[in-house]
Amino acid sequence: MVRLRRYGFVAGFLVVPVALYSVFVISPYLQAFQLSLTSWNGYSSVVRYVGLDNFGRLLADGVFWQALRNHGLLLLVLPIVTIVIALFLSFLLNLGGGTRGAGMRGVWGSRFYRVVFFFPQVLAVAVVGVLFQAVYRPDEDGVLNGVLARLGAEPVGWLTEPGLALWSIIAVMVWQAVGFYVVLFSAGMAAIPKDYFEAAALDGAGRVRLFFSITLPLLRDTVQVGWIYLGIAAFDGFALIQVLAGDKGEPDGATTILPVTIYKTAFAYNKVGYASAMGVALFFLTVTFAVLTLRTIRREKVEL
Amino acid sequence: MTARDTGRPRLGVLNGLSHVALAVWALLIALPLLWTFLASFKTNTEIFGDPLQLPGAVRLDSWGRAWDKAHIGQYMLNTVVVVFFGTAGTMVFGSMAAYVLARYRFVGSRLIYYYFVAGLAFPVFLALGPLFFVVRQFGLLNSHVGLVLVYIAYSLPFTVFFLAAFFRTLPDAVAEAALIDGASHTRTFFQIMVPMARPGLISITIFNVLGQWNQYLLPLVLLAGDPDKWVITQGIAKISTLAGYEADWPGLFAALSMTILPVMIVYIVFQRQIQSGLSSGSLK
Amino acid sequence: MTHPGEITRRQLLRRIGLTAFAAGPGAGLLSACATAGTGGDPAPAPAVTLSADPKNPFGVDAKKPLEVVIFSGGYGDAYAKDLHEELYKKAFPGVTVKHTATQQIGTQLRPRFVAGDAPDVLNNSGPESMDLAALAAEGHLADLAPLFDAPSVDDPAKKVRDTVTPAVLDNAKINGKDLVLNYTVSHRALWYNAKLFASKGWQVPKTWAEFTALGDTAKQEGILLFAYPGLKGPYYQLWNVLYTAAKIGGNQVIIDIDNLVDNAWNAEPMKQAVTAWADIQAKYGDKAYFGLDHTQTQIKHLQNEVLFYPVGSWIENEMEKDKPQDFEYAIAPIPDVTAADKMPYGAIQVGVGENFVVAAKGKNPQGGLEYLRLMLSKEGARGFTEKTKNVTVVNGAAEGVDLPAGLKSAAKAQDAAGQNIITEARFEGWYKELFDYGTEQINVVMAGRITPEKFCANMQKKADAVKKDDSVAKQTRSQ
Repeated sequence: MVRLRRYGFVAGFLVVPVALYSVFVISPYLQAFQLSLTSWNGYSSVVRYVGLDNFGRLLADGVFWQALRNHGLLLLVLPIVTIVIALFLSFLLNLGGGTRGAGMRGVWGSRFYRVVFFFPQVLAVAVVGVLFQAVYRPDEDGVLNGVLARLGAEPVGWLTEPGLALWSIIAVMVWQAVGFYVVLFSAGMAAIPKDYFEAAALDGAGRVRLFFSITLPLLRDTVQVGWIYLGIAAFDGFALIQVLAGDKGEPDGATTILPVTIYKTAFAYNKVGYASAMGVALFFLTVTFAVLTLRTIRREKVEL
Repeated sequence: MTARDTGRPRLGVLNGLSHVALAVWALLIALPLLWTFLASFKTNTEIFGDPLQLPGAVRLDSWGRAWDKAHIGQYMLNTVVVVFFGTAGTMVFGSMAAYVLARYRFVGSRLIYYYFVAGLAFPVFLALGPLFFVVRQFGLLNSHVGLVLVYIAYSLPFTVFFLAAFFRTLPDAVAEAALIDGASHTRTFFQIMVPMARPGLISITIFNVLGQWNQYLLPLVLLAGDPDKWVITQGIAKISTLAGYEADWPGLFAALSMTILPVMIVYIVFQRQIQSGLSSGSLK
Repeated sequence: MTHPGEITRRQLLRRIGLTAFAAGPGAGLLSACATAGTGGDPAPAPAVTLSADPKNPFGVDAKKPLEVVIFSGGYGDAYAKDLHEELYKKAFPGVTVKHTATQQIGTQLRPRFVAGDAPDVLNNSGPESMDLAALAAEGHLADLAPLFDAPSVDDPAKKVRDTVTPAVLDNAKINGKDLVLNYTVSHRALWYNAKLFASKGWQVPKTWAEFTALGDTAKQEGILLFAYPGLKGPYYQLWNVLYTAAKIGGNQVIIDIDNLVDNAWNAEPMKQAVTAWADIQAKYGDKAYFGLDHTQTQIKHLQNEVLFYPVGSWIENEMEKDKPQDFEYAIAPIPDVTAADKMPYGAIQVGVGENFVVAAKGKNPQGGLEYLRLMLSKEGARGFTEKTKNVTVVNGAAEGVDLPAGLKSAAKAQDAAGQNIITEARFEGWYKELFDYGTEQINVVMAGRITPEKFCANMQKKADAVKKDDSVAKQTRSQ
């Protein structure tokens, strides 16, 4: 009886989410997987199966490999830079006030900072795109280059130099993301019992040591969550790249990441089959990446 | 500053430095936003002239144009409705699924968990084509109900993934006590576990609100046939393309400001709750 | 290029409504830009019999609603909403017309076509425009032959086909069938500020040496000789280079490229054209423009920071709001690159554009055809010109409309060009992947990161790949 009730409960809680998810997410995905074996152009009523041809072509496709390299770079750099900056800022916000008086305090004005830092999060990609087009404008009328020009420097082609463009775009993504993680990490830090710090501070530990020996280890879980959030945010980078750099990942494909390439292939070139194959490849790469990451994290946990 | 900071006498300098760092970042955030706001009062020539110059006069006509052309009011309202129900549904169904997957052992629980998580690894836009037909089959094209259901479905993988991890970290004792006291599983969930999971729920709610607020591709395809039902991102895209063709940049920046301001105000009003919500949970 | 000799330049200009300011005999011919089919030959007999009623030749059912989707780009969508749709409603009182304006044509409409829920009239344009050949292959596009053979709104004794410029009929064809209506006429070459030239006493350069000499002069005044938008608009420069190649080597250069002829991109005129323009960029250009989009570049042009800008005659309307008093758009032909250019100085590109199609499997194809017929009426076409300051393909419809200076200059240039009309590159619509790759590579070569030879080799490689790709339907043109 108890077990039946239990199963009834479990089933009752799962039925709606699983049904919604299966219908609207999995079934279209499965169709996309199926399309990856075809040469469908998005219009034709006759779908021709080509087996694994699309995947064979991927191996020889320079654009695909370039997109893959850029994608990997983004997946690595975006989380690291964002998390480092966010940790640094939230440390300053929460613990930078020193240990005088009754325990740890945030610096003066920390509430104000936290509000301001979060602002970019509420901006739609289109907004950010237009904004940074103005910031990165390659002549002296750009916000950045305008400042450089006053300092007597030559204007820089932030988005037009192949060596620079992807970094400029990553910088925008970091700019947008940091605020959320400052809030997230601040919450984590606020939850660390004050007496930990007081005890350490009494022992003469400086703030930097406090950070590395107490804050960081205790924030490990939160940081991991942040890493995963950011991995997903990297996926969304394609809209930003389309707006800022161009829909082919200009210049010279230096900013193309996989979603950009897939989108272009499917929607502009009408090669839905081939684009789906890229998507499937991306799927397996992501899964592999995720499994490896989880493995690493778990091992670390055991060590703790 | 890192190497030299042992001992208290330097606190003053350090405090100064941390303020500098914080202020610099705050400026990096605030200035571009301020620039957007000011640009809405400029003329095209001023926008493309010296970026550090203030507008020659406060010109409000661009705001009027943006309001008319981008239908900001209507789209904003549509978005609020869709995001409200979308996020609410996501949180209810997501937390329910995450809860049973995290805390109940049954045949296939791991499988269902991974079934959800796998959804994170595939680009959404490849599903757009097939999704159109699925939604159409249910007669839900060009309807907010359809969009809400799709939003919920696409927000589930991450919500389940995140909340399952969160529910796993909650102590068992409280829930067991409640069950022994005769509370049903459902009641235990809603009255005991949900309040305990509040910080996790709040942070994922924020994540979902932001994600759904900024969603562009799904409404583009699913609401294509009925411009009256469009959401704000579609309005922005429309006016930003129009700005390119009609060279109405002030109008674009006015539209952008119009969409930024209300969201900022909402955030400022609720930021205390968000902050305290996030931190009220105990350390995991 | 054949051209029907019996049409005089004056007749032709009258046809497209430019007689107001052109006079004198000659033989400038719009039809010379015909790019497919058999230039000027009549189209095949209509596949559908028309009803006898000249007021309603397609038998439109006024109870059936009509859905119109307009690409809302440079022309906006007011011309459809406030004009053409109103004409339709006037013709069929009580009818409902559903109007949608969008920029994401492909994303929004492709699923609807596949689902059999296509809008009746579609203005297929913009960066996401759909592959019309693919739609045609599935029978989604209605045959426009009945439209061309229907009586015209203004004169029931005349067929629609006799009221439009002949290039419309040539460019309507996909695989031999009339499926696409091109609605506008545009002139493409280099655009400059006539008033600036007048005030400085500069002459429009006719040879490359004059062109670069002017570049040196302008440089001293802090003006750039030439710029194109590297962001969003590099295809303007791809066109420019292709047209320059056609000027050097004749239209066959472009025709070969369109037909994916082996080594078409490696042809000598192509290399010369790319080299000439890459040199201009290196000596007289500014790399900042690689990161500016078309609007930003055009504003700079209006501010006299740039002398020549490669674009089409729609620019005047596009920049109307920002155009200062001392700026007057005028068109300049591409200067002679070599002393032995196949086309003499004065050759410009004239073409028809802005595609409209009717869905064959839509709910109201009769209404769709009727809508196009109303667009091609004098009232519809004239209103379009008034609203967008662009000329339509309807003969004489622009007569009496006060056209702006740039369009007048374009008409004069066409007059001067005579038969030397540069053809358009149709692979832009046929093989989008190749065209897109070109818009990326043109930036690379103009920035000096690859040599012109490498550019041609890269393009050829891509063209070969497209040729081999059997998932891409192939098109050919004879002229």
